[in-house]
Amino acid sequence: MATETDTPTDTPANTEGTGAGEIEARVGLRYTLRQVRRDTTARIGIYTIGFITVVAVLASIDHYVFGYGVAEAIWYSPVQDPEQVERLLPPVGMENQFGQGTLEHPMGTDHRGRDILGRLFYGTRIAITVGFMATAIGLIGGTLIGAISGYYGGWIDDVLQRFTETIYAIPFLVLVIAFMTAFGRNLTFAMVGVGITSVPVFNRLIRSRVVSVREEDYIEAARAAGVKDRNIIFRHVIPNSFAPVLVQATLQIGVSILIVAGLSFLGFGAQPPTPSWGQMLSASRNYMLPAPTFSIFPGIAILITVIGFNILGDGLQDALDPRINN
Amino acid sequence: MSEPLLSVRDLKTQFFTEDGTVRAVDGISFDVHEGEIVGLVGESGAGKSVATSSILRLVDSPGEIVGGEIEFKGETIFGLETGDDGELRPRDEMLTEQEMREQIRGREIAIIFQDPMESLNPVFTVGGQLREFIEINRDLDSDEAKKEAIDMLREVGIPAPESRYDEYPHQFSGGMRQRVLIAMALACQPDLIIADEPTTALDVTVEGEILEMVTDLQERYDTSFVWVTHDMSVVAEICDRVNVMYLGEIIEQAEVNDLFYDTKHPYTTALLDSMPRPDRTVDELRPIEGVMPEAIDPPAGCRFHSRCPEARKVCREVHPEPRDLSEESEAIHAAACVKHDAFDVGYDESQPIDTQAGGGFSAGLTETGGDAE
Amino acid sequence: MGLLRYTLWRVAQAIPVLVGIITITFFLANQIPGDPVEIMLGPSPAQGQVEAIRARYGLDRPAYERFLTYLSGVVTGDLGRSIYYDRPVLEMILLRLPVTLYLTVSAFLFAIVTAIPLGVISAKRRNKPADHVSRIVSLIGVSTPSFWIGLMLIIVFAFHLGWFPARGLPLPWASPADIRGAETQLQVVWTSLHHLAMPMVALGTLQMAQITRIERSSMVESLQGEYVKLARAYGVSESKIARKHAFQVAQLPVITIIGLGLSTALGGAVLTETVFEIPGMGRLIITAINNQDYELIMGTTFMFGVAFVVGVIVTDIAYAYIDPRVAYGEET
Repeated sequence: MATETDTPTDTPANTEGTGAGEIEARVGLRYTLRQVRRDTTARIGIYTIGFITVVAVLASIDHYVFGYGVAEAIWYSPVQDPEQVERLLPPVGMENQFGQGTLEHPMGTDHRGRDILGRLFYGTRIAITVGFMATAIGLIGGTLIGAISGYYGGWIDDVLQRFTETIYAIPFLVLVIAFMTAFGRNLTFAMVGVGITSVPVFNRLIRSRVVSVREEDYIEAARAAGVKDRNIIFRHVIPNSFAPVLVQATLQIGVSILIVAGLSFLGFGAQPPTPSWGQMLSASRNYMLPAPTFSIFPGIAILITVIGFNILGDGLQDALDPRINN
Repeated sequence: MSEPLLSVRDLKTQFFTEDGTVRAVDGISFDVHEGEIVGLVGESGAGKSVATSSILRLVDSPGEIVGGEIEFKGETIFGLETGDDGELRPRDEMLTEQEMREQIRGREIAIIFQDPMESLNPVFTVGGQLREFIEINRDLDSDEAKKEAIDMLREVGIPAPESRYDEYPHQFSGGMRQRVLIAMALACQPDLIIADEPTTALDVTVEGEILEMVTDLQERYDTSFVWVTHDMSVVAEICDRVNVMYLGEIIEQAEVNDLFYDTKHPYTTALLDSMPRPDRTVDELRPIEGVMPEAIDPPAGCRFHSRCPEARKVCREVHPEPRDLSEESEAIHAAACVKHDAFDVGYDESQPIDTQAGGGFSAGLTETGGDAE
Repeated sequence: MGLLRYTLWRVAQAIPVLVGIITITFFLANQIPGDPVEIMLGPSPAQGQVEAIRARYGLDRPAYERFLTYLSGVVTGDLGRSIYYDRPVLEMILLRLPVTLYLTVSAFLFAIVTAIPLGVISAKRRNKPADHVSRIVSLIGVSTPSFWIGLMLIIVFAFHLGWFPARGLPLPWASPADIRGAETQLQVVWTSLHHLAMPMVALGTLQMAQITRIERSSMVESLQGEYVKLARAYGVSESKIARKHAFQVAQLPVITIIGLGLSTALGGAVLTETVFEIPGMGRLIITAINNQDYELIMGTTFMFGVAFVVGVIVTDIAYAYIDPRVAYGEET
């Protein structure tokens, strides 16, 4: 029995390898990397993301690097201390009603006297983790649903598609808020919630690929040769959808970061004292008049990070699909 | 013969791509006289479509006409001269872009594209599109143009044209859409219609009907045609004169009967042998061996030598320009092949070379190619 | 035949989705930890009061029974009663919904009016300076959090320049008696628009950027279409091609994106309403969540879903209106 299933598995793989050799080469990881390296904008995206990710890793492994500001960001008690408000300093070289900015706090301090730059650095952790994790959840969920739905068709397809349509019909942010209210107002559920909202996106992408690939000869051949359905989906259909999924996932990370920032702004993301950009913006609302810089910097941090992913996504798309680019 | 309607001289159109310059059309010359259907034949990639869009000066970027001359009814569609600074510049009498649009395109020279499914705009009614082009090119008002459009739809054999006028392209079959495009071209009453492989996308039976209709309409309207195709049987059916293109060059030019019965270029011979012919019984069809090389890096010498069964060493070295090989009293029959005595470059003494064509193929060729010599 | 039938068919298709939304919201609301009755009555309610309230709101019955009751309620237009406010949910929603719709629809109008010319110019001048500027603007637009744009607008235009008010959004059809400083209806409209400007831009920027990007790529593709070549070959001018021949086909993907963008925009409305302190649906759902007000959470979530579904149906019909292939049944 074992040999019987083993041998035919090779047959379609071979057919694909020889028959679709060029196509195979055009969707592979190595091809992608080579194309991206040739694309200037994609490279800028990679550098930006790389920078933010390195910062996030540094912030995670060694918060002492940033000294006083970060340490306080992590340890400072959330209990309101009116005296601390006096320490809401502006960035270096600027002045406001609370005093003069100092080199010690290049971007100034927040309403609790914590270093903004330090908290921004620390906030990268949340942004990057949540961006990647939420997208991974959406990617895995959407791929599974889309693949099963497209491959089996019939009532399975109907049920799964109605389900994802329903998820899609509730505005993302409202869905995640409702989801977190039901299961828990913490970062884990924020990631799962945001992940769920992107399930329909990946589902649609994979399903349409599966439906079109399902009809192709080499899949027919594989099935006729007795290859298990599961193997066909995972070894042939999904690898063939690599390029569009990669583009979508990159863009989706940016979207996830934006949604999570919005959630934190509403008080649904990481809970204080863990610093996150959205929550910093939320806190800054009460100080917009005396200390506008408090509101400006976290927004710029979000903007730069999300732009990085969007540039990379666009670059990947251009690199992988020259037709659209021109 | 009288002045030609359209005269193309040494036309060169090139595409400037990242990988290099593609010489899509590389110095072709041909004429179209009034009331004539002139064929432009060749495999895909030979440069036929680029040649036709050059005539309308509608070559898409990164393509550009870089040399030669196009005259139409005494007007200069394209022509260069050397300026005082030694650089080439458009001649003064060359039509401006606006003049091309207002006087030539549609009004004097209309075009029928290859793909009837894509050529009509999916979001406008068929009648609306026809009417718009008629309005622009015949200075009619909207009502007159509509009447004209309906008449023309009837003319090209579309049943119930009044009601179909308001339908959308997706409600028409491929053959019907091609009839619409033909109606469009005829309705503008141009002197010349360029038909760019108009029947390639259609069924054979539909193709037959359309060809019959075009021959019929051509006689009645006395319009000239440039008919682009890769199909020799279409050529046989409708063309008066034929230009055979290979890799951006015209390699043989003759009246249709001469081309079929007195073939002078091995490439034409190979094209003819690759299709079934009613006038000749053969054991099997012979497809042309190999693929056409890239126009970005054409072979030296005769461009066909890499696939030519009659190629000799000299073919690699000498690049032949087409020469008239006809007797004095006969119609022009030009070919660009050094095997003919007129070229006198020592073909007969030259060593045969091994080509992709192989022995069996060349043996078959002598039967037709032989009597041409 | 045609559009009307397509519309009916499209509405019928939405019914299972609406039932699905109710199911999901009911399921989620049912998962919420904590007891709303306790929140409502405080830490030490009187004997029997808890049971009485539970019975009144049906909280003592099994989940499936409550679900069926709720479902049949929705069909008859009854979304239940808010436990916290002790008012019908539908009534509360109808008070807030116009504000959110006013904001969202205006944001889309702003986005469409700015994005379409930007995208078309970008496509026509591909890889020229105008294109680069428009691409960079739209890239920043899709990468910026809407609520941050709101904060920045407030800092600059409300606090420093004092051009626009920083909070609130009166409706243009409100009674002049309710609006401070307004005597005529025209003044109410003016006050309303004055308040609308900043939240509209904050919420609309993302949509604008997204539509610009789609408009550009869609126009680029459309300009390369065979029908454009044909129009050119028949002497149609470039400007007419851009305005008519290429344009109309290019709007199809744009309409799709506008429909899908509704989901982001309605979610974004929650943020925008928070930033500008606008009493709309977004604030309502946040309040409901903070009060653990089951029925109100379900009602508002459902309404958000309905708003999106209706929006998508409208865009689908617009699509069918432009593309005859849809309504004339290539898809049905």
